[in-house]
Amino acid sequence: MAQPLIKKDDDRDDEDNYSPFLGIEKGAVLQEARVFNDPQLDARRCSQVITKLLYLLNQGETFTKVEATEVFFSVTKLFQSRDLGLRRMVYLIIKELSPSADEVIIVTSSLMKDMNSKTDMYRANAIRVLCRITDGTLLTQIERYLKQAIVDKNPVVASAALVSGIHLLQTNPEIVKRWSNEVQEAVQSRAALVQFHALALLHQIRQNDRLAVSKLVTSLTRGSVRSPLAQCLLIRYTSQVIRESGNITQSGERPFYDFLESCLRHKSEMVIFEAAKAITDLNGVTSRELTPAITVLQLFLSSSKPVLRFAAVRTLNKVAMTHPMAVTNCNIDMESLISDQNRSIATLAITTLLKTGNESSVDRLMKQITNFMSDIADEFKIVVVEAIRSLCLKFPLKYRSLMNFLSNILREEGGFDYKKAIVDSIVILIRDIPDAKESGLLHLCEFIEDCEFTYLSTQILHFLGIEGPKTLDPSKYIRYIYNRVHLENATVRASAVSTLAKFGASVDGLKPRIFVLLRRCLFDSDDEVRDRATLYLNTLGGDTEIDNDAKDFLFGSLDIPLVNLETSLKKYEPSEEAFDINLVPKEVKSQPLAEKKAPGKKPTGGLGAPPSGPPSTVDSYEKQLLSIPEFANFGKPFKSSAPVELTEAETEYAVNVVKHIFDTHVVFQYNCTNTIPEQLLEDVIVVVDASEAEEFSQVISKPLRSLPYDSPGQIFVAFEKPEGLPTSGKFSNILRFIVKEVDPTSGEAEDDGVEDEYQLEDLEVVAADYILKVGVSNFRNAWESMDPDSERVDEYGLGPREGLSEAVNTVITLLGMQPCEGTEVVPPNSRSHTCLLSGVFIGGVKVLVRLSFGLDGAKDVAMKLAVRSDDVTVSDAIHEIVASG
Amino acid sequence: MILAVLFANAEGNILIERFHGVPAEERLHWRSFLVKLGADNLRGVKNEELLVACHKSVYIVYTVLGDVSIYVVGKDAYDELALSEVIFTITSAVKDVCGKPPTERRFLDKYGRICLCLDEIVWKGYLENTEKDRIKRLIRLKPPTEF
Repeated sequence: MAQPLIKKDDDRDDEDNYSPFLGIEKGAVLQEARVFNDPQLDARRCSQVITKLLYLLNQGETFTKVEATEVFFSVTKLFQSRDLGLRRMVYLIIKELSPSADEVIIVTSSLMKDMNSKTDMYRANAIRVLCRITDGTLLTQIERYLKQAIVDKNPVVASAALVSGIHLLQTNPEIVKRWSNEVQEAVQSRAALVQFHALALLHQIRQNDRLAVSKLVTSLTRGSVRSPLAQCLLIRYTSQVIRESGNITQSGERPFYDFLESCLRHKSEMVIFEAAKAITDLNGVTSRELTPAITVLQLFLSSSKPVLRFAAVRTLNKVAMTHPMAVTNCNIDMESLISDQNRSIATLAITTLLKTGNESSVDRLMKQITNFMSDIADEFKIVVVEAIRSLCLKFPLKYRSLMNFLSNILREEGGFDYKKAIVDSIVILIRDIPDAKESGLLHLCEFIEDCEFTYLSTQILHFLGIEGPKTLDPSKYIRYIYNRVHLENATVRASAVSTLAKFGASVDGLKPRIFVLLRRCLFDSDDEVRDRATLYLNTLGGDTEIDNDAKDFLFGSLDIPLVNLETSLKKYEPSEEAFDINLVPKEVKSQPLAEKKAPGKKPTGGLGAPPSGPPSTVDSYEKQLLSIPEFANFGKPFKSSAPVELTEAETEYAVNVVKHIFDTHVVFQYNCTNTIPEQLLEDVIVVVDASEAEEFSQVISKPLRSLPYDSPGQIFVAFEKPEGLPTSGKFSNILRFIVKEVDPTSGEAEDDGVEDEYQLEDLEVVAADYILKVGVSNFRNAWESMDPDSERVDEYGLGPREGLSEAVNTVITLLGMQPCEGTEVVPPNSRSHTCLLSGVFIGGVKVLVRLSFGLDGAKDVAMKLAVRSDDVTVSDAIHEIVASG
Repeated sequence: MILAVLFANAEGNILIERFHGVPAEERLHWRSFLVKLGADNLRGVKNEELLVACHKSVYIVYTVLGDVSIYVVGKDAYDELALSEVIFTITSAVKDVCGKPPTERRFLDKYGRICLCLDEIVWKGYLENTEKDRIKRLIRLKPPTEF
């Protein structure tokens, strides 16, 4: 038998600090549990045993079915005792043991008796236990008592019944819904908690009935809700109603806003915060509505309670994403939070400041952050690094101090994810801010001198190989790269060799010296490094000019989709015949949706492997088109569009089209996939009807010989068009083919086929197809550097629109140009907006567009369009596009 | 929903844990995550000083009381402020039961009582009672004084 619990004197427990449960053992406790069966119950002893059982359960001990049943049955005996303390323990242990359905019956009668007991506390607890262990049939039996309990005079009983109702609503909604009259009455209760629980239950019962929720909110916002908790609930329900009603009244007032605003003056912090949060979350909240909420949150920022500070800074951080100006008032309080003990608060403060700060405060902020960085964990640092990256893109002129900051933290200690975030940020800055390139590359070079992560070293070396040769003085990078050949592991050495070769291929002046270095690598201890060195020495040849093939080999991406290569390699079985890479199909499969969205996204991946990036798709298109002799004399394609789906998802044949724009031609590339295993398609062509595209005339149609199941193929149709003009037109398409049945067992097709056709969606060539999205880092400079005489200005009425945002998006899509400096985002509720666009027009002419939108009275949108370009005719052409669009 | 209430001693051993709506296989993960969070941040923290963190959509408020660290995890309606209310109720109930911020020994001595308090405070993931005097009476099956 385990020792019984010994009661210790209070003053002795410090010196005698062993656990009262020391050496506790399940078997022994179960033995002890037999005291429950004694005819003369020792209440104190029984309570102690129950405590031990609870301790065991809490320590993760499990009881077998037999053990649990035995304990449960003995526990039920304890209902005989009249000791209050013991009874309370019994209720708890029954809930913990959660008896199975066939055992529940044993206690139900005892519990039902307690439920109708004169002792209020028996009633409350019995309700809670019953609801925990009950099922639907039992519930109908006790429903009557529960309804009474909801309106019981004793608040504990009422609360117990209400909270039980909330839980039972999940399992037996139809029963609980019958209680709404009683619950409604309980909402008016004078006891704070009862009101809170009743409101929660009432809302849950009615949550699918919008009108009822709205009525509930209307009546309660007028009356007084006592409990702060209930008040918080009410605020939540109110904002839900506001969200769903969505409209602002004629006078510009938002319904219930006054209620929310009045809650900002409540005496409970909980309510104040809830109201402030609700206001900041309002759809299209205006600055005027925000101000009072921001003011109370600002007060919270200097509260002595960390929780309040955290809540406030987190909410302000969210507001800063949409309304940075509204938060600037809090900047001073926010800056003092950088030194807050709680690092979560400090990080939120920093990232908020980075969002709201203006160009002039950047330097001061960076100084503060530098001190702060050393004592936070990596995951917080990553958040800061990401915030700094977006700050730098916002203020490109500040790149120097931000880049310095990044390079400094790069030198400090840190884990892989943190370092990767920094390196990715530097790479993105190098790509987007041309001025930052040289210094950024040098920072990366210094980093790899002492980088412990092979992955990062190889990625940086790859990036250096692409960007390094394009700089003014490529030779200064060679030292860093060649050091890797001496100091690093084989993987890094091999990448360093490749990078050296790229420098040799691109910079003629460096070639002889690179050769000396590469020759030294021939004696490396690792096969791969030696192989690469040998390969590059041979491809780059001796003194002769490096031909295009070698360059392609070094810089070109693999022109085979990686997926196809992977499938082919998996299918390949080891045999006498070597794997032939030329047999791998080059067709791009109809891409899944996620990938197609990729070109529209910002390049967030940082150092991605090049074949996955969007530009390489264009490269591979170009290569593919040039390899087709019929198109050889078309020249270089100016632009290739993203694939446009011509079939619905999951149809028999999946077809999408890529529009390739040339100077005098347009080529449609139809990517077709046959999704029926029992069919083989042969002589597949697309019949294009260009009757609604008068200026286009078809010159070439290149059919597909065969289209087996799940192996994509391409059909090309080329049109001639007037040179250099943004000619538009609409084309209707029909897929025509011979279909042959395939025997699923043998995989062989029948000899005879049937001619068939399949209607595809129409396809349009629009003005946007003739403009490349090319951004500029500083729009103002670019605009001013263009000849003012080339400027063409005109005004347009766009008619009634949903809002400015919709109008802006329409024009951007129409022109297909790159929005600059985030001007494509229209702040909610604004009456006017300026949007800046940049792009390159067919023929390689740079174009900049400045759009000023204004909202006129009702919903009419007026637009002023100013265009500057290197060629005046292009400025005119842009106006024509807008005028006809 | 209050997803979890967890008590641990100074060495990070669990004393009491209550999970609500957390699948069994995720509990171990939460347990070690919370204990690590405490080990990283709770050193030198004053009794009942609240620390707060959020992880995705889940909030965590935690503190120290004597030898025991207390963690409360919640989501949706139970954000950091609601949780601070929960943890305040828990700490005051524990102090009440133990007479002062407890040593581990004392906490275990009063184990049953504390389990009862917790049962009154959090009921299947919802906050039920908040006043310590009321809780004190309720665990003895006495009706609250206001009644």
